[in-house]
Amino acid sequence: MGDTITKVKILTQYEGMSNSRSLSTYKEHGGYEALAVALKKSPDEIVSIVKDSGLRGRGGAGFPTGLKWSFVPKTEGKKYLLCNNDEGEPGTFKDRYILELSPHMLIEGMIISAFAVGAQKGYVYTRCEFFDEIKWLDDAIKEAYEAGYLGKNILGLGFDFDLDQYQGAGAYICGEETGLISSLEGKKGQPKLKPPFPAVSGYLGCPTVVNNTETLSAVPWIVKNGSDAYRAIGTEKSPGTKLFSISGPLKNPGVFEVPLGYPMMKLVEEDAGGLLEGEELKAIIPGGLSAPVLLPEDVKDLTLDYEAIAASKSMLGSGAITIIPKRQCMVELLKLIMDFYHHESCGQCTPCREGTGWITNILEGFFDKSATVDDIDQIYAICQQMAGRTICALSDAAMPTVGIINKFRDELVSYIERGTERERFSYI
Amino acid sequence: MAVIKVEKPPFDKNILFAAMNTFLQIFRGLWMTNKIMFKQLLKIEKTDTLEWPEQPATYGPRFKGRHFLTRREDGQVRCTACFLCATACPAECIYIEAGEHEDSRIEKYPVRFEIDILRCVFCGFCEEACPLDAIRLGPEFVMTGTAEDKWVYTKEFLADRPELSGGIQTMRGSNDKHPSIYHQASADERKSLVRHGHH
Amino acid sequence: MSDSVTFKLDGRDVAVPKGWTVMQAARRENVHIPHFCYHDGLSVAGVCRFCMVKVEGRPKMEIACNLLATEGMVVETTSDDVKQAHKWGLEFHLVNHPLDCPICDQAGECELQNSYMKVGKYKSEMHRPKVLKPKNLDVGSQLILDTERCILCSRCVRFEEEVTKTNGLGIFDRGDRAIIGTYAEEKIEHNYQENLVDICPVGAFTSKEFRFKQRVWFLEEKDSICNGCSTGCHISMHGKSNELRYYRVKPKHSAVNGHWMCDEGRHSYRYLNPEERLSRWWYKDNMNERIAGGKDEGLSILARKLKDTNIDEIALLVSAHQTNEEYEALLAYFVKELGISKVYQWRQDHEDINAFDGILLRGDRNPNTLGLQNALTKFGLKAEVKNEFEKCLLSGAKVVIALCPESPQSFPELKEHLAKLSEMPFVSAWSAHYLPEEIETISHTVPLKGFVEKRGSFTNHEGNIGELSDPFPAVIHGAVDVCEMIESLRELMG
Repeated sequence: MGDTITKVKILTQYEGMSNSRSLSTYKEHGGYEALAVALKKSPDEIVSIVKDSGLRGRGGAGFPTGLKWSFVPKTEGKKYLLCNNDEGEPGTFKDRYILELSPHMLIEGMIISAFAVGAQKGYVYTRCEFFDEIKWLDDAIKEAYEAGYLGKNILGLGFDFDLDQYQGAGAYICGEETGLISSLEGKKGQPKLKPPFPAVSGYLGCPTVVNNTETLSAVPWIVKNGSDAYRAIGTEKSPGTKLFSISGPLKNPGVFEVPLGYPMMKLVEEDAGGLLEGEELKAIIPGGLSAPVLLPEDVKDLTLDYEAIAASKSMLGSGAITIIPKRQCMVELLKLIMDFYHHESCGQCTPCREGTGWITNILEGFFDKSATVDDIDQIYAICQQMAGRTICALSDAAMPTVGIINKFRDELVSYIERGTERERFSYI
Repeated sequence: MAVIKVEKPPFDKNILFAAMNTFLQIFRGLWMTNKIMFKQLLKIEKTDTLEWPEQPATYGPRFKGRHFLTRREDGQVRCTACFLCATACPAECIYIEAGEHEDSRIEKYPVRFEIDILRCVFCGFCEEACPLDAIRLGPEFVMTGTAEDKWVYTKEFLADRPELSGGIQTMRGSNDKHPSIYHQASADERKSLVRHGHH
Repeated sequence: MSDSVTFKLDGRDVAVPKGWTVMQAARRENVHIPHFCYHDGLSVAGVCRFCMVKVEGRPKMEIACNLLATEGMVVETTSDDVKQAHKWGLEFHLVNHPLDCPICDQAGECELQNSYMKVGKYKSEMHRPKVLKPKNLDVGSQLILDTERCILCSRCVRFEEEVTKTNGLGIFDRGDRAIIGTYAEEKIEHNYQENLVDICPVGAFTSKEFRFKQRVWFLEEKDSICNGCSTGCHISMHGKSNELRYYRVKPKHSAVNGHWMCDEGRHSYRYLNPEERLSRWWYKDNMNERIAGGKDEGLSILARKLKDTNIDEIALLVSAHQTNEEYEALLAYFVKELGISKVYQWRQDHEDINAFDGILLRGDRNPNTLGLQNALTKFGLKAEVKNEFEKCLLSGAKVVIALCPESPQSFPELKEHLAKLSEMPFVSAWSAHYLPEEIETISHTVPLKGFVEKRGSFTNHEGNIGELSDPFPAVIHGAVDVCEMIESLRELMG
């Protein structure tokens, strides 16, 4: 391989171990040690350790975790810690991998985080399609209760924390933090207007912190090894490791833990084994379906960190890298993306509700041959007016559309002009 | 007070010519009139004048005469009782009473639609205001009658004048009903269309 | 100054209390920011995304309804990019709107239509088929719902949640398939349904009561006070004075009733229309035959009767439906000048005067109970709210002047009481309402003006005085109010 970057295994340290999900295996390899360390410190110290480590939210937005925790008011009263395990971004399958390897890592991370923010109750909001993972996590929670890591007076250090799992109904929008809160409250899963932010008024009107599974799972390692050790991995602004779920016509697709700042092509060519025989790279979606596509020339020297990808006008997002082969028809891809967002729009804000439907409606014209070249401009104009105009970021679904139009306009135009001899091949 | 001294204009010879020219034109005109009169008296030329009402007279289909209401293919009036004609009418001669239609794809229809023809000024604004082309001014111009006659035209009279149908389109377009998915659906399908909070 | 913030709105300094949003400030300053989901009486939903404004120094546009005014903020509501945002905001709302304005009752007072005229007026860019949704649904005793016209502003859902707390409505399904609806087979049955029609910015909710009756642009609005109960909601009556008809009642924002009013109050217009009104002076002529005659004759008969009767045998039976000014005039003449002592209050037999539905409607279904009490006290009569109808019947009075309650809706016993009254020797019923059978057995009738046809004031249960300041012309020719009656009587009696 000849890589100069040392690959530290933080989230995937239990990879390859037999019975890795059990409490005994977890404890054997230093599990719940961080908890004992953390509970002896003060909550503020934990927050500053996480702040110093530079850990950023792994769900998609990349917001600094420590900073998010520091927004929670220091007052007495009910507070909640929610784990966003509603992994719904198309192409993403990293969180379930953590649950597959070691659900206890998440539980330990949640207890420490809850201690840091002062939450007494936590929920893991899991996507209902994760049948096995739900069971594994339930088992792990049961084990943790029995071993005294959850419940009253944890480790005899005076901290109480209850953890429960909640199954979503499979709506993409419930992966948005306020949408998740609405859903958990038993309401229709739709995002809430901000301000007030969840850190001040979230679940049931109480201060609430919502973190991604991957973020919370990294906390025990940081607490145990210190913030400097974490900072030593990755780049300066994007420290630490990240799980990348890479899919497409690859020899070895899957989840890989690499430090941030890792070269993208190295991940594709070496870790994922490169493209299948006869396939040629056409484009890459670097961070889940809502990230704009990148061309092969864009990614040649691209490193996988928040700043570098943002500089190339896309986003790291949830770290779901989707490889698009030459054979893929971009109109099909566009339709697929928009169908997804049209189906998943909660319908609350007008630009997103009507805009996603409208774009899908126009794209339908591409297939029934009624589309004109002007329609491409119209889609573009609609996208411009949707993005950033709504409560949550779902209307930014316009972004991948804009990306495709920007980069594959010629293909769209020729699709319209070719008339009957259209290929409708879709790999994805 | 200032006094403006106005000089008397000098005599203009052209005035004399102008006066002479006037008389000349009068005689030319009279000559034309008399020429045609005698030609027509002697039947050398055909007259354009009709001996109405002994001889029938017709106007073109675009003449703005007595109103009529166009109908759908199923015979009902197209009017949806939107009151726009009544709003536009400067003479305030249109009276409409709207009602709920039993076909809910039509929803609203005029129970009464009356025009007080004695107040109407035949401006044609109602025709222009109508979003559905439901009212038109027809070619009929004979509206004579006595005081006992009905001068307030009812919906039935306005919509159903078979003598108009020759040459004038009184029936227009297909159904023009709302393409509602709901009302075309069967009772069972309707239930699935209106979700009742099961999620 | 710590309790207020000053910010720049379209270039001018605006000072508002801390905690106000830019929308609230703009509304106070009469700066028009187009909006659909924002309503003064409801919580902020921020879903229509139409009230976009530009804040200097922020990359994205913000919605004015959820934008807290902060010190030194610079807000722009008319710049080109804001206008562009409004144009598109409207376009998005219209993408799936059926545009059936000609048959929509809301046309003329539709916020979507108005916004189009204010900030739109462009050609639509939507060329594809629209989403079809259920129309013309019966969702309540007063409501028809058209989900296709609905722009999903959620005002109605919030009203059900926050004001009536009945939670009868919800938004089902999602995306552009989302529709407003009631829960499984249930219908909305509360007494505040028509507020949903009012707050609906489009014609999704229409009122069964007003449906297809009239186009709103023909209606005249005149402010008045509801006479349905002692709350005294501020209303505006909508009618056509050239047709002599009333069509509907809408609430007017005030401290007394906020933005709302009950459906029962809204139906008061029914009892003001000519067919429900006492239209003639009925009396017995010289041949002792009951005839419907003119005002002069009717007046002189009453005056003669009063003159011929002993003062002790004259009684007043007064309901709490007249104005303060009328009570003043009535009592000043009969009690102070003529010295009548038999004054009886006429109230409902079964009333729970302290009942309250928690929103607006009160158990005291008379608009001016307090006004009558005040007047009685002023003229030295007992002031205690009680029904003295039976007492009046047994008083042995030879002449009874009965000021009838105005609407049988809030006075269900009216029919029964009038039947009992007609057994007395001579009753002069002064009434606005017409009860075909009973009124014909009563010796003498005086057609009164309805409450929207007279000037004066009601005193509500809290002592707030509501002015009836903008009367419609009386729909009944020759109708009088009590003040005019007293004046005429005074002239005739000398």
